[in-house]
Amino acid sequence: MGQLFLIAFRNLVQHRRRTLLLGGAITGVTLLLVLVLGLTHGVSETMMRSATTVSTGHLNVGGFYKVTSGMAAPVVTDYERVREIVKHQPGVAFVVDRGRGWARVVSDTGSMQLGINGIDIRQEKGLREVLSITSGNLDDMAKKNGLLIFEQQAEKLGVKVGDSVTLSAPTPRGVNNTMDAVIVAIARDVGLLSNFSVFLNNDGLRGLYQLNPHTTGALQVYLNDIKQASQMKPKLRQALEQAGYTVMADDPRPFFMKFDTVNREAWTGQRLDVTTWEDETSFFSWTVLIVNLLSGLLIAVLIGIISVGVMNALWIAIRERTREVGTLRAIGMQKGRVLMMFLIEGFLLGLMSTVLGAVLSVVVAAVVNALNQPVPSAVQLFVMSNTIRFLVTPGAVTFAVLFLTGCTTFVSLFPSFIAARMKPITAMHHIG
Amino acid sequence: MAAIVSISDVYKDYHLDKVVVPALRGITLDVHHGEFISIAGPSGSGKTTLLNLIGCVDTATRGVVSVAGQDTGKLPESKLTDLRLNTIGFIFQSFNLVAVLDVFQNVEFPLLLQGKLSAAERRKRVMGLLEQVGLANHARHRPSELSGGQRQRVAVARALVTQPQIVLADEPTANLDSTTGQNIIDLMRELNQKQGTTFIFSTHDPKVMKHAQAVVMIADGRITGRTTPEAAALHAAGGAH
Ligand SMILES: Nc1ncnc2c1ncn2[C@@H]1O[C@H](COP(=O)(O)OP(=O)(O)OP(=O)(O)O)[C@@H](O)[C@H]1O
Ligand SMILES: [Mg+2]
Repeated sequence: MGQLFLIAFRNLVQHRRRTLLLGGAITGVTLLLVLVLGLTHGVSETMMRSATTVSTGHLNVGGFYKVTSGMAAPVVTDYERVREIVKHQPGVAFVVDRGRGWARVVSDTGSMQLGINGIDIRQEKGLREVLSITSGNLDDMAKKNGLLIFEQQAEKLGVKVGDSVTLSAPTPRGVNNTMDAVIVAIARDVGLLSNFSVFLNNDGLRGLYQLNPHTTGALQVYLNDIKQASQMKPKLRQALEQAGYTVMADDPRPFFMKFDTVNREAWTGQRLDVTTWEDETSFFSWTVLIVNLLSGLLIAVLIGIISVGVMNALWIAIRERTREVGTLRAIGMQKGRVLMMFLIEGFLLGLMSTVLGAVLSVVVAAVVNALNQPVPSAVQLFVMSNTIRFLVTPGAVTFAVLFLTGCTTFVSLFPSFIAARMKPITAMHHIG
Repeated sequence: MAAIVSISDVYKDYHLDKVVVPALRGITLDVHHGEFISIAGPSGSGKTTLLNLIGCVDTATRGVVSVAGQDTGKLPESKLTDLRLNTIGFIFQSFNLVAVLDVFQNVEFPLLLQGKLSAAERRKRVMGLLEQVGLANHARHRPSELSGGQRQRVAVARALVTQPQIVLADEPTANLDSTTGQNIIDLMRELNQKQGTTFIFSTHDPKVMKHAQAVVMIADGRITGRTTPEAAALHAAGGAH
């Protein structure tokens, strides 16, 4: 009934101060909720995008080769045969092979311990889109000693494109080997992931680790749809087992955390391992979890405070309007309508405030994104990127508006029930 | 003619903590269609209590109150609400308008609760009544912008808008100066005569009483007589001394 909305709305306008105070609080919580959702969404998105090109495929076929039981090397031998099997699985878009390793990168002025990704630049379709090259040329990675590093690393090492650095690493046989590499490209940082890894020509990496040309670190498998990754995982394992390979037990951790386990086992020779991108980045996903937990807690507390505020305000409104309620009951308004009248007041307050909050949040997110301000490194660890990026989706906005309006309406129920139960006789008795 | 309000041997007790306050003690009263009746009596005599029982906002402790042929003691709350909406109109001592609605909307409100008339019909009905109470030019004013007399006229229009069979008014003039109060009573009397609506109103004021067709005298929860306004006025004046 339209008149109930009118009464509710006008009463909100009438008590401007109370409405602004409460509405402001609800607006603030909406703003916060949307931004937090946008932040975690943005973080996961960034993490997924950078992770799935820099350090993992949607799925990975990696594994370990052991000469003796305690000497595991993260390699796949005779990888071309494995690739043939993987390539023809349904849903697979393309497969690239990557070398894997750790090495000390030494320049004239500094040194860093970094993860080395061996790449064949001609295969890398996704990398070009994710990496933005600030100097040098990605195609020069075709050179056997070509090395790509990230801006922050270049700064630490004090190097620029064209400079030489020395890579030093232990080979699978246990002796140290070194090589000279030339920096052919420097890319903009892509968050935490780019702090730890660099790209080296795959043949160069094979030389450093003294691997034969048929050996690589892992096959990174890209699917038509990344959401299919976990469903594809068991199918891929099965296909490899059917082809005669021994596949390690499912272990959802990144490969570099598995050395200890693998070295403790007695087997020797080649075993394959199939992981999803989420397995390989599970190391990082705790940040998203913590952001989610903390913000969830914060928002729950704020919703609690607001609920008390809304209930209290409505309770005051009902006490102020006791005579009005009695009058309306006396002239023939049913209990249900009285309930509706106050419920609508809570609902309207919630709706108007949350919509305002949602609009503000979209503006704030757009402004922050446009500013593209670098954040301190402690924050970078959390947001997985060197700038804050809010990914505000229509879904998150709708959710925040509906959820918080629902909350205010719900808490309005209790005072509204009390109002509806008031006896019409109070109309004649209540003074004030 | 059948009685529109029929009260027989009604008692009403209020319970204050452990004390029982007897407000009405054996009231029997019939009010007929089209009557214009005043209920008079000293403060605390039970006028409001009696009007509340007739108005279906309260129920008797003992005895039968029947309104428009229905025994109100036997009806559930929702049916009583319907009875109030469709059969009874209320005018309150302190006007009791909805502050955030304008004059037109206040008068229209009971029609919206009924949900029977179209917007155009409602408009015609409301404007017709505002014309009669002399407030057609104030339709878009809020109650706070009106004088007490004007507000009470809005309340009269609201009470009549559903074309109820009975209009109840508990001391409708108590918050008005005497001239304005007289005007309100004149207006009620005019509507009573034109439309045949039954009016029952309570008052202390002998000047107001004398406009009534008949005066029901009540004291200490009992009816002491039913007289002419002149006799009642005399009685009230005498009692005051
Ligand atoms: N809600 C209540 N609780 C307890 N006692 C009540 C209540 N309402 C009325 N009474 C008592 O019942 C008696 C009748 O009261 P009522 O209000 O009907 O008198 P009244 O004739 O309307 O008086 P007045 O002229 O002052 O309005 C009084 O003794 C009053 O104190
Ligand atoms: Mg009274």
